Amino acid sequence: MQQPNRLRPFFENISFDRKDNEMVINFGPQHPSAHGQLRLILHLQQEQITKAHPDIGYLHRGMEKMAENMIYNEFMPTTDRMDYIASSSNNYGFALAVEKLIGLQVPRRAKVIRMMLLEINRLMSHLFWLATTALDIGAMTVFLYAFREREYLMDIIEDYCGARLTHSSIRIGGVPLDIPDNFIHDLKAFLDKFPQDLKDYEDLLDSNRIWKMRMENVGVISKEMAQSWGCSGVMLRASGVNWDIRKEEPYELYDEIEFDVPVSEKGDNYARYKLYMAEMRETSKILYQTIKMYEGTVKENQTELMAHAPQYISAPKIDIMTQNYSLMQHFVLVTQGMRPPVGEVYIATESPKGELGFYINSQGGPYPYRLKVRAPSFWHTGILTDLLPGSMIPDVVSIIGTTNIVFGEVDR
Amino acid sequence: MAQHQVNYTQDGGLPVALTSVDKVINWGRSNSLWAMTYGLACCGIEMMASGASRYDFDRFGTIFRASPRQSDLMIVAGTLTKKHAEFIKRLYDQMAEPRWVISMGSCANTGGMFNTYATVQGVDRIIPVDLYLPGCAPRPETLQYAVMMLQKKIRAEKAGRAQRPKRLV
Amino acid sequence: MRKYVPKDDVQKKAYYTDRFWVAPQVAKSPVETDAVFAADLEAIKAKCEVLDAYIQVDQLVVLINPNDNFTVAQILKEECGYNQLSECSAIDWLAKQKQFEVFYQFLSMSKRKRMRVKCFIDKEQAVESLNPLYRSADWAEREMYDMFGVKVNNHPYMKRILMPDDWVGHPLLKTYPLQGDEAASWYEVDRIYGKEARDIIGPENRESAVVDRYDTERFGRLGHEVARGSEFDENQPVTPLAYQEEGGVFIVKKFQEDGAVTITDRKR
Repeated sequence: MQQPNRLRPFFENISFDRKDNEMVINFGPQHPSAHGQLRLILHLQQEQITKAHPDIGYLHRGMEKMAENMIYNEFMPTTDRMDYIASSSNNYGFALAVEKLIGLQVPRRAKVIRMMLLEINRLMSHLFWLATTALDIGAMTVFLYAFREREYLMDIIEDYCGARLTHSSIRIGGVPLDIPDNFIHDLKAFLDKFPQDLKDYEDLLDSNRIWKMRMENVGVISKEMAQSWGCSGVMLRASGVNWDIRKEEPYELYDEIEFDVPVSEKGDNYARYKLYMAEMRETSKILYQTIKMYEGTVKENQTELMAHAPQYISAPKIDIMTQNYSLMQHFVLVTQGMRPPVGEVYIATESPKGELGFYINSQGGPYPYRLKVRAPSFWHTGILTDLLPGSMIPDVVSIIGTTNIVFGEVDR
Repeated sequence: MAQHQVNYTQDGGLPVALTSVDKVINWGRSNSLWAMTYGLACCGIEMMASGASRYDFDRFGTIFRASPRQSDLMIVAGTLTKKHAEFIKRLYDQMAEPRWVISMGSCANTGGMFNTYATVQGVDRIIPVDLYLPGCAPRPETLQYAVMMLQKKIRAEKAGRAQRPKRLV
Repeated sequence: MRKYVPKDDVQKKAYYTDRFWVAPQVAKSPVETDAVFAADLEAIKAKCEVLDAYIQVDQLVVLINPNDNFTVAQILKEECGYNQLSECSAIDWLAKQKQFEVFYQFLSMSKRKRMRVKCFIDKEQAVESLNPLYRSADWAEREMYDMFGVKVNNHPYMKRILMPDDWVGHPLLKTYPLQGDEAASWYEVDRIYGKEARDIIGPENRESAVVDRYDTERFGRLGHEVARGSEFDENQPVTPLAYQEEGGVFIVKKFQEDGAVTITDRKR
């Protein structure tokens, strides 16, 4: 027996005056293959979609408002929950924006560790993408395989920062910890086996008839459309635009690293899938190089992990414990927060999903006056408005899958 | 009529297990808890991880179902926002009795770190919750422990139809 | 006496600021220092009035009149090659100068440059939509309207995007409290159960360290679980904190701790 309440069946979206065969269906907000809380209102002509209204905001948690009420360091754990599949990349985007605002120079070793974390996160995110998309399309095996590999990466990250999902592993001005002893060994062990894993996935999917039928020539995004909708990351590169922020506007030490940016001209789901696979290979290439760079910093005995800026960044723990002035500084920075200079900054980084930008307007106070997150998934959800019309109902799932949207980031 | 006496509880007779009806029903219920995929945010990823290869939820008899009508257990994994609140009530109402709810993660328990205008401060304002699972995000082991605890709870319940309905208002 | 809280800006403020502290500024350099940006600025200046222009953190910032925003975007897209509008939003300056600041963040992939166009608008003033030039403006402007109440002219679908349609207020205004106003705090209860259920469900608990005396009844004490509402009685046997009950569960194998193996190497 149901308790009477105010919820009536959801008829407000459905129009009953039928002039033609148009049908309006509601998809979500709690749909297993919507990758989160996406709600789509689809107008159908038989099986074909004529109009699509993505409805978002079901995970809007007011993060931008929270940022205005938090000191800069306090906001760092909140950024974890944005793109929760690759948390460190959000931490990094925010940290970099604040560093640019202050004008901090991060020590080399911290940069190398950051790059390692970012690339591990990229692998985790891409593996997760592969797993869920394959699951949505019906390839359950790939889901189980990809999650198996993802767990090993999570172990590695967990060894570093203690968390599986919400890392908070990057601080403003550097990284909190050096990598643990077994980190390099574990990472190398993973990377050595990873190409074989990738080959396994590709053997299962690449020439799979069902996979190809549901991916090829489905959800084609033209170059103009991708640029006009502000797409970034794989969504943009699959449409033939060679744009990777790591290459074009290099941050950290990406300019010292050799890697290719895979680009495809086709713009369909299959192209995106191929790009994700190719990117995973590139990422493992980068990771091998960062291991070398890390060993270089060990050789040169560069042990600094945090930038030295007593006005903004607390001193190392040993100083805080032994020196009075550092303790005072630390106390002020923790209770009152750092006060960056007056000004505004917009910094974009290449997160696994695309261009993750942070716009910070600081008025010299310990709280940002305005913080805007430019989340790539927001625009990748928006493009569904133009992308879905013309495609069939079963294509919706595969299109949503390949856009790789995460709702923590879309709604913030 | 039978000329001889049949002792059904002894060997050679029908295999009758002597147990109370409650026990049998609860055994069945607790070992086939079909959970509904209610991944809302970050915890949903950990929920998927506990269903995936390493943590393997299937060995508990917990299989994720996409439909509320086929599921007994709703794992509310993630932040419930005010915009979404009505849907959770709608889907909870669609589940068949008996039904149980695990509130997974701090956001679902109390609103957690998102003490803002847009977040419901705990799903128990909307639907009755059987088990609260702390953590942000709880590890898959924690979720499995929660399911084990829920199984234990179910075994201690009366299986009769005259259950006290769980509702808020 | 109760502390005075200004009504026009309820965000958290620094509780202590040194009297003689002068906030430093992020360095601004003149536009002439960068040839590419100088050319872009010239192209804008040819058609529109530019109120201010400088380079900050490697990006050109141009302040224009709000009525020119479409023209400027058109120049940037068609003449200067800024092919992406990566972000667009507003900043609430109502408390200070009774104005909103609207900013547009552009990206030129051919020149590898980013620039920001800003304009100040009054409270009820609307800006022109950039949707015909950049499709990304569609959602960005909707979000701006949702969060600030800034109206956009000629927008194809000017509705709230993140908050529900019947939401009261615009959350990112400085006058809007972080934890929501009265309408927000009862939103889900009113919508699902109706106003009459407010008394039963009760107000939201926004206090992070609150202690509720009923929690001892609502939550079982570990090892002493009783049915909800019933009194805990001293003679009650202790329920062991094991997964399975003492008698075991039908068919299900009981976990034996001494037979368990701990895996140390993950066998990667």
